[in-house]
Amino acid sequence: MKRALAALLCLAAVSGAVLAAPAPEIVAPALPAVAPPADVAASDTPNDAGLSVSLTWRASPDEARGIEGYEILRSDAADGPYQRVGYVPVGIDGYDDQAVPADGQDLYYRVSAVGGGIAAAESPAVGPVRSRQQWYNTAKTNALVGTLLFTLIVVYFINGAKSGRHLFIRRIAGLTAVEEAIGRATEMGKPILFCPGMDGVTSISTLAALNILGQVAKKAAEYDTPLLVPNRDPIVYTVAEEIVKEAYTEIGRPDAYNRDSVFYLTDNQMGYTSGVNGIMTREKPATNFFMGYFYAESLVLAETGATTGAIQIAGTDSVTQLPFFITACDYTLMGEELYAASAYLGKQPMLIGTLKAQDWSKALVGLLLLAGTALALAGPGPRQLVMKMLSIE
Amino acid sequence: MKRQLPLMIVLVLGIAFTVQFFIPSRASEVTYQTALQWWLVMSSFAMVLALGSLVNHHVLKIKRRKEHWAFSWVTLAGLLVMGALGIMGGPSVGLRWANAAYNQLFLFVQAPMDSAMFAILAFYMASASYRAFRARSKEATVLLIAGFVVMLGIIPFGAMLWRRIPDISEWIMMVPNMASKRGILLGIGLGSTATALKIILGIERSWLGGSGK
Amino acid sequence: MKFFQKLSQIDRRWIYLLVALAVIVPLMARMGLPDAPGKYSLQLFDAVDRIPPRSQPVLISADYSPSMMPELHPMFMAMARHCLARKVRLMVMTLDPTGAGLAENGLRQITDEINARAGSAADSAVYGRDYVFLGYKPGTAIVMMSIGENIRQAYPADAYGTPLDSLPMMRDVRNYADIPLVNCIAGSAVLNYWIVYAGARYRARVGGGSTAVSSADYYPFLQSGQMVGLLNGMKGASDYEFLNQQRGYSSAPRVAGKGMDAVSIVHLLIMGFIVLGNVGYFVTKKSAQQKAGEE
Repeated sequence: MKRALAALLCLAAVSGAVLAAPAPEIVAPALPAVAPPADVAASDTPNDAGLSVSLTWRASPDEARGIEGYEILRSDAADGPYQRVGYVPVGIDGYDDQAVPADGQDLYYRVSAVGGGIAAAESPAVGPVRSRQQWYNTAKTNALVGTLLFTLIVVYFINGAKSGRHLFIRRIAGLTAVEEAIGRATEMGKPILFCPGMDGVTSISTLAALNILGQVAKKAAEYDTPLLVPNRDPIVYTVAEEIVKEAYTEIGRPDAYNRDSVFYLTDNQMGYTSGVNGIMTREKPATNFFMGYFYAESLVLAETGATTGAIQIAGTDSVTQLPFFITACDYTLMGEELYAASAYLGKQPMLIGTLKAQDWSKALVGLLLLAGTALALAGPGPRQLVMKMLSIE
Repeated sequence: MKRQLPLMIVLVLGIAFTVQFFIPSRASEVTYQTALQWWLVMSSFAMVLALGSLVNHHVLKIKRRKEHWAFSWVTLAGLLVMGALGIMGGPSVGLRWANAAYNQLFLFVQAPMDSAMFAILAFYMASASYRAFRARSKEATVLLIAGFVVMLGIIPFGAMLWRRIPDISEWIMMVPNMASKRGILLGIGLGSTATALKIILGIERSWLGGSGK
Repeated sequence: MKFFQKLSQIDRRWIYLLVALAVIVPLMARMGLPDAPGKYSLQLFDAVDRIPPRSQPVLISADYSPSMMPELHPMFMAMARHCLARKVRLMVMTLDPTGAGLAENGLRQITDEINARAGSAADSAVYGRDYVFLGYKPGTAIVMMSIGENIRQAYPADAYGTPLDSLPMMRDVRNYADIPLVNCIAGSAVLNYWIVYAGARYRARVGGGSTAVSSADYYPFLQSGQMVGLLNGMKGASDYEFLNQQRGYSSAPRVAGKGMDAVSIVHLLIMGFIVLGNVGYFVTKKSAQQKAGEE
């Protein structure tokens, strides 16, 4: 009993001492410190419409110690206050602040390494930097030079063609067969089917297809062969209708034009495919043209056409679909042959001139490629010399 | 005049937007965005014309009792039902039953039909490869072997046969395949620039119908 | 000899029948062929895996129609599962009108699964906090460029009419600079547009998935580093499902994994057809030459 009492007294004394002592301050365990990102640089984003500043930095050497990403902080005064304007995860060492309030305003930036288990480490402030808009995109100089050079070559050859110089073009089997294919349909008394591709009118391949449609429609009008033009794009449909109507008028047979020959099916890819397949199996056209841009449906269309026994001429610049057309069609225009078709069929010297210009430009590009390859294979010395001459960094 | 006006519009806008491509300033961006918005508006009008064409085509078919004319009723009914349900179930009217019906038709009628059409590709690919993939010449033989290795590389059996087959398959895709593709693409790039130039300068007029003279 | 002649003129419907069997049988009975994820599938998976949880959202644009569903929908499901299982915020949009229904249903299925398993509010997938569905917007390139300026220009509100600023996870999202990864799943050229507009113009990191037929179009972009990774058709989708299971992000049945069995068998069958076709071709050619020699 005495012992119990003594223990109780002891406990009371100890707890009294504990209670009497000043309460210790509650300190959270200090989060490990990491190095901030280094070499932070801020500059106006080049070649843009303004209101943007580009930042770059060198990753913190402590990334593996729990840094999850970098916060981008902005202020209009070097000593703050700084406001968070963006965040990127680790692995990225740049950020475009595209929410700059106004062009021409002095801005300062800090980049802070952050993570759940570390103390944020801010870089020193960089700045002032001002955003501004540019009136010429220097990154597109090569495109500008290329376009101007190409235009000059085109103009040169067009002038040559105008002055009556003979320009040789190799025979393109697929295009030579166009007339024969239309003739066959006429003999058999069956219609011609023309698909102007799956893309809209903004696609160059669709425009090339429409150019070919103009030529095919004229021949169809001449031979009085029915023409079927199912469309997927509403605008392409309106343009195609106009083209076919005009072709009949030009041949002098506007009365022979059937309003129902150019029609709209659907913009659903497979819906369109099944629609065209239906036309091929029901109406059994003697000749099928697939011109323009195609996707996965290319083989479905061409194989169905092959089973109906039609002569098939395809033309596309969709490189992945070319093998399918080559397999299932009688003739295939590959890539640029599609664009050349209108010139080839129309036999207008000016158009043929542009084909020549294309060939010469291609030769020029080929030479540039060879030069580039040679430079890449040559040691760093000559490479640097040429890059210095062209002032490429 | 009927021909001169479109040619003028194409020339002026063609040159203007070529120049715009090289100018990054705000005014230039806004002009480009506005042109794109106009494009959207015009597309909507064209959609109305296209719808007219679709209806007209099928009504004529029904009237003239052309072959398989009964299916035209299916097309017209599909157009009407899906259109009406889409509008009634959309955010502006917001009828829940219409939205549910639209979703059901979409998921259980349109989706399987679409998938079925796409699946036909597998069948056609088999028959086309059987018919056309033959070693008729040296080049065709090289193509045949390359095709074989690529196919083996995609499926697990390739690695089971020899663990390096997937690597060889990738090399074929990334090196010889890419080289030839880039060659074709270069031609396409120049060809499309030439086509654009011909249209802008009014040299190519077939798109106006006839020879465009 | 006659056999080979007959073989070379075989009715194509026999071929169709064999293809149908080669698809149906593996789909009915899971074969469990070994998985070896491709390089570009792994790159894309890793890119998503490196994004910190509960930070900036990943964007998935489900730009596919029902026709592409067997190949592309499993990609969407696997990628969305990966994000939501890791608590990586997710924005879903579509530039294909028929893609909206597919993406919305897919999201609902995944979030229902997660929420059924979740033990606490923190573990569940909450709309507006962990994911948003922006819906369909017409005008492909215009939408992409609008997002480059400010996502509110393209989507002032989500698919259900809620203003973006009312959704907690969207408050800090302005444009591509706030989106660490843009993924497009498409069977058309839309992925090309994403690379050109979001990637080249606004410097977004672009990844995605495409049908096997169109995947070859994107190898140049992978080579040049303009794409962080690519899921190539059914194989890519199956790779992503496999990686999800391997790292413990998902235990859902592997739809594309099963599909991949069928794809493998059909590949073998087609290779068999090519061999047979060639044998028939050479035998008939030889006999024709012999005949010509005899005459």
